[in-house]
Amino acid sequence: MKQPLLQNERFVQIAAPLFVGVVFLCFWELAVRAAELPVYILPGPVAIAKSFVTDWAVLFHSLMMTLKVTLLAFVIAVVLGTAASLLFVQSRWIEVSLFPYAVLMQVTPIVAIAPLIIIWVKDTTWALTVCAVIIAIFPIISNTTLGLRSVDPNLMSMFRMYRTGRWQQLIRLRIPSALPYFFGGMRISTGLALIGAVVAEFVAGTGGSQAGLAYLILQAGYNLNIPRMFAALGLITVTGILLFALMVWLSDRVLRNWHESALKVEQ
Amino acid sequence: MVKQLKAIRDEVVVSMTASTKTDDQTRAFGGRPVVEVAGVDKVYGNGTVALKEVDLTVGEGEFVSLLGPSGCGKSTLLRVMAGLGEASSGTVKWWEQDYQVVGGKGRKLAFVFQNATLMPWARVRKNVRLPLDLAHEHGADAEARIDQALEMVGLSKFGNAYPRELSGGMQMRASIARAMVTEPNLLLMDEPFGALDEMTRNRLNDDVLRLWKEKGWTVVFVTHSVYEAVYLSNRVVVMAARPGRVVEDVRIDAPYPRGAEFRVSTEFADYCRRVSLALEKASAQGEEDH
Ligand SMILES: Nc1ncnc2c1ncn2[C@@H]1O[C@H](COP(=O)(O)OP(=O)(O)OP(=O)(O)O)[C@@H](O)[C@H]1O
Ligand SMILES: [Mg+2]
Repeated sequence: MKQPLLQNERFVQIAAPLFVGVVFLCFWELAVRAAELPVYILPGPVAIAKSFVTDWAVLFHSLMMTLKVTLLAFVIAVVLGTAASLLFVQSRWIEVSLFPYAVLMQVTPIVAIAPLIIIWVKDTTWALTVCAVIIAIFPIISNTTLGLRSVDPNLMSMFRMYRTGRWQQLIRLRIPSALPYFFGGMRISTGLALIGAVVAEFVAGTGGSQAGLAYLILQAGYNLNIPRMFAALGLITVTGILLFALMVWLSDRVLRNWHESALKVEQ
Repeated sequence: MVKQLKAIRDEVVVSMTASTKTDDQTRAFGGRPVVEVAGVDKVYGNGTVALKEVDLTVGEGEFVSLLGPSGCGKSTLLRVMAGLGEASSGTVKWWEQDYQVVGGKGRKLAFVFQNATLMPWARVRKNVRLPLDLAHEHGADAEARIDQALEMVGLSKFGNAYPRELSGGMQMRASIARAMVTEPNLLLMDEPFGALDEMTRNRLNDDVLRLWKEKGWTVVFVTHSVYEAVYLSNRVVVMAARPGRVVEDVRIDAPYPRGAEFRVSTEFADYCRRVSLALEKASAQGEEDH
């Protein structure tokens, strides 16, 4: 049986935003041409695409640097954040004593402390990673802690009735209950890790072989190479979207059998 | 002098009530008390008095139903009997001892919650196996018991399904299977068949009665159905609301095994009438207080 394309959920999900994007780009190009804007004020998509091709080597190298920091920070944030959550649910005391500091870390503007971190941590990659971790870790901590606490109280009663130890409660009950929240935290955290990596690099302003996309943007700004600036910006955006999509895919795979977020509701 | 007299009188009263109690139990079931609830009050944190001065003793091998208007504290009482909720005052004893003995050999307790309370991330079979997993019981014997329990509730074909793929009634049956699998001595069930159709309900009633006899269970069963209560129980305990309390304890002396003919007998109808009257009175009392 062949389904009409417009009723295919997947097709619509991809085609609709793509259509909007193409219309927008066309409009942009036409507007730039009609107004005869110089390329150093606002380049059209065609000029940006050209820059993608000619500058690909340097763009790609910078992308890899930024991606390295982002992924490193994300992994560290997930590991440390989960560990902190597990610690928090062990006792109310630990949570009330430490949670405010997690919030403190969250509300401190990263641009304000990045210079300090860059002074303290010699290696640039690690300095940037530390900054990115600081802002990526909070959603993991807060979501996972919430999840570990959101256990069906009747199920908990049952575990207690069978005199189950803490460890078994954690493995069999708390962790599975927390998974949807944990994945929710991961979705937010990937984006923040990327933002952290870029912002920290802006503050650090270090170039050389370690230069990432942020430095490329800075440099392109000095040289009024606006198409390259846009190309770098585009790469950052696309990277963020892909990382987010990856997280959605991952959580759907893990939760698809049971959690409402990953189910296709059949009425 | 007066004090002494008073003490003697108290003693006599105590021994009298005690002896009538055991007499009553020996007449029908002869068992030692399995759960004793004495003078239990339960006040929730928000000030709701869910139970007030509740006394209830369930003897070994009894089948006791709790009946009462919605919100009268049946679930609360059942939870107290399961050791899941601390009583605010009064005492609860299991096998004439404290909660520590529960779970030991011959003193196993199983609880069926009012809603199915399954783990949504685990397949039905894994859910049913949970109590065995928690007790580190594995092997062929455990598997056989799981098969048996699934078979009994008619879910043999659904072991690999996830709870969300089952209807509400099927989820409830899975939850019952989970309770059965431990081979409990004391089975506490909170409206286990409320969500089922008449036919399934009757069949499961008969299954529970059969197992109750076979395995020598003691059962406390919460229901809203007068018919179900009378059909199953040897005692129907009627409760009233605000505050939740026991108002009547109706003995159903019809012999077991009970079958389809019992359902249509005049004896059954008479008991149902009596219990209904008690229930009406209890409901009216609840409203008066309010
Ligand atoms: N966790 C709780 N916190 C506060 N009040 C509660 C709690 N659980 C129950 N109650 C209150 O205690 C009273 C008895 O509740 P319970 O659940 O025992 O009633 P029930 O007889 O089982 O009712 P139903 O037949 O509707 O299941 C109700 O008035 C209810 O509002
Ligand atoms: Mg209830």
